Amino acid sequence: MRRLVGMPIFIALALCACVTINVYFPAAEAKEAARQFVEKVIGDDAQPSPPAATPPGDGGMAVRGVRFDPLALLGIGSAYAQSQPDITIRTPAIQAIQSRMEQRFNGTLRPHFDSGALGFGQDGLVVVRDASALAIKDRVAVNAAVADDNRDRKAVYREIAVANGHPEWEDQIRDVFARQWIASARAGWWYQQGGSWKQK
Amino acid sequence: MPRRILALLLLALAALPVQARTATARVDRISAAGVELEHVVVRLHWPAGAAQGELQVDAGRVDAAEFGYRFDRVRWRCPLSRTALDGWHCDGPLQGSGGAPLRLALDLSPAITDAVLSGDGARIALHRNAATPDATQIDLTRVPLAWAQALLAQAWADGRVGKGIVDGQATLETPTARPLRIDARLALSQVALESRDGSIAIGDLRARLDLDYRQPANAGALLAIDATLQGGELLYGNTYVALTDAPVHARVDARQLAHGDWDVPHLSWQDGDALAIEGAATLAADGTPSRLELAARSATLETVPARYLSGWLGLAGLSDLGLEGAFDARLRVEDGCLANIDAAFHDVSVLDPRQRFRIEGLDGDLRHAADAGVESELRWRQGQLYGLAFGAIRLPLRSDGGTLRLREPADLAMLGGEVRLEGFTLRLPEAGSSLRIGFGLALDGLDLGQLSRALGWPEFGGTLSGRIPSARYADERLDFDGGLSVQAFDGRIDVDALSMERPFGVAPTLSADLALHDLDLLAITEVFDFGSITGRLHGHIGGLRLVDWSATAFDAELHTEPRKGVRQRISQRAVQDISSVGDASFVSSLQGRLIGLFDDFGYRRIGIACRLENEVCRMSGLHSAGNGFTIVEGAGVPKLQVVGFNRDVDWPTLLERLAAVATGDVAPVVQ
Repeated sequence: MRRLVGMPIFIALALCACVTINVYFPAAEAKEAARQFVEKVIGDDAQPSPPAATPPGDGGMAVRGVRFDPLALLGIGSAYAQSQPDITIRTPAIQAIQSRMEQRFNGTLRPHFDSGALGFGQDGLVVVRDASALAIKDRVAVNAAVADDNRDRKAVYREIAVANGHPEWEDQIRDVFARQWIASARAGWWYQQGGSWKQK
Repeated sequence: MPRRILALLLLALAALPVQARTATARVDRISAAGVELEHVVVRLHWPAGAAQGELQVDAGRVDAAEFGYRFDRVRWRCPLSRTALDGWHCDGPLQGSGGAPLRLALDLSPAITDAVLSGDGARIALHRNAATPDATQIDLTRVPLAWAQALLAQAWADGRVGKGIVDGQATLETPTARPLRIDARLALSQVALESRDGSIAIGDLRARLDLDYRQPANAGALLAIDATLQGGELLYGNTYVALTDAPVHARVDARQLAHGDWDVPHLSWQDGDALAIEGAATLAADGTPSRLELAARSATLETVPARYLSGWLGLAGLSDLGLEGAFDARLRVEDGCLANIDAAFHDVSVLDPRQRFRIEGLDGDLRHAADAGVESELRWRQGQLYGLAFGAIRLPLRSDGGTLRLREPADLAMLGGEVRLEGFTLRLPEAGSSLRIGFGLALDGLDLGQLSRALGWPEFGGTLSGRIPSARYADERLDFDGGLSVQAFDGRIDVDALSMERPFGVAPTLSADLALHDLDLLAITEVFDFGSITGRLHGHIGGLRLVDWSATAFDAELHTEPRKGVRQRISQRAVQDISSVGDASFVSSLQGRLIGLFDDFGYRRIGIACRLENEVCRMSGLHSAGNGFTIVEGAGVPKLQVVGFNRDVDWPTLLERLAAVATGDVAPVVQ
């Protein structure tokens, strides 16, 4: 995504003869990566998702494919390193967190999203919206699960930024994910918008 | 008062002609025993010669403001008959707007008033004696706690009754010019209460209560509760208390202040050896303590995590934390902030169920004061961190202005060497900033053999030393200034730019730059069972980043440098291992199949580089060789050359191959 900004640079060159190279946040790729991550966690049964195969061009590919050379006699394939910044979510650490989040979502959190006890916050985290919808003992377990999940989420947002070589993207990645959790929420689930709760 | 109205009606009836007679009285307002009735119509119908008449009482409004009850359009109908002792008896259904069907039985005599309200298995019996007109006796039998909802709302506006059953006796005193008083001995079962937002809750509680409630006119209520609690659960914010069948004695004295705040001059909680608390508090209307003074003691900490700490431990990701030993503490909270704490530990052990850490034999005290300097000292006998055992430590501490400092350096035995902790400071979380820790470390002679054993690595000898003058922990990030030096493999590895993220959290990461100086390759290859190569290894591993203790990124370059008196030989097995790992082929001046005839070969240089990024290792060697790169440049006869062709290698596959080499499970192909 390293692009030379055409006209502004030309003007800049003309003005002070200095060159600016901007690395833009790959918003579309990040969105696609977030969509794949979130729907793996929530389960994408209810929403049709485009095939996970490589889309044409370099625009939408979020997950770097690893291609094995079948002729590599010793089992080591060659892989294509991405020359352009891209949003990779397939690091072992991120995938370990993802599968843990998936288990936690299906094992603990989902029914409480259904009941309205939990909701998605604006900051990409899970929020206990209505504790009174939970049995008292569940309240403690759900609070703990929400705290665990939010620790995982923060780690994911951070690790995705770092794994893609741009730790400074953390906040943008978090925003993209925050929107995606809401976009992927099932009908009836709650989410925060502009400081107030809305039901999808 | 009701007796008087009834008597008036009967007099009126007596004055009427002898036929079926009906008398009606209308009263605007009746006040008695804290209850006010408005727009009351009492109608008595008595057929001629009948043994009983029919009474119907309608009240437009029944208001017991001091108890918080109000009913509209209440009607009571009953057959009225005379009793002995110049009294009257009436028993019939009571209906109010929207209420469940109830039955009210009334016995009136000059000396005694008895009223029994019953319905759905519950019974409230009210007894008044003319001799003591200000006292009303109330007997409760299986009364739903929900009936007390309005009474509860008086004391706690946000409180909601879920369920619960009350048995017991209460005395209601309503003397004129003196405060209303309720004195009750109650047995409660299956109690469920909670605040509107669910942050305070009681579930399935069994309790015996002695309750003394006074409501002076124009002043806050006074409440004293003496309770024995058995079974059930309590939630207060993040504090979750799971009660067992062992009884807990609790006492609360409270006084309601203006704006619904409560002053609690005395509270106590006695749960055997697990936890004993005495204290005082001022609570806001929503239950938050603005002032709190507590003295707590636990003689045996074993049951404390499960009974009292599970809510907090769950939030911290430390569910099922094990505690042993004894603990006591005094703390004071002023204006919602911790003003001082004085805690003492007695042979306490802290055990992480996930085996990340353990501390045994924690003794001593920990003091903190917001506005004064105080000293204290902590010690422990031994512990473990990520499987690395450490020994005893003595931590002389000073707390000043919200910061906890180490007064003098503390030494800790670890891995056969010594770790010295210096200049430790801990700043408690404040508004806008998280917990901050700073410290310096000096490591002296830590044994790498013990380290590698503890971490499950192939065992190798050496020592780890170094000095980190300053390390800082804040916002889940640990940064180290200075560097460490590892003396290993007869050479030196310098570790710089060390930092960690989430050291105890999710997917802990570690970043560092390593520089390798003059390592003995033979020792390395022996440790990692990689054939045998003699020579000296140099190089660097820059930008190393481990996530969850696995490498995710680095830029490494390793090469040999000749040294006088050191032979440079590579064994046939090592050649095969390099080839199988690196997908390299080796080219020799002899036919490949003849390679097997030689045990080892001379080499001039070995060099390999790998830049790991996005799970791909971009490899290179000493120099390019055609469309490949040279890893081993041979010397002498037979002259050997190992050339790699795959520049981009899948990192997980490479690791698998390395693991296979270590177990001897390789079958290289000779071209």
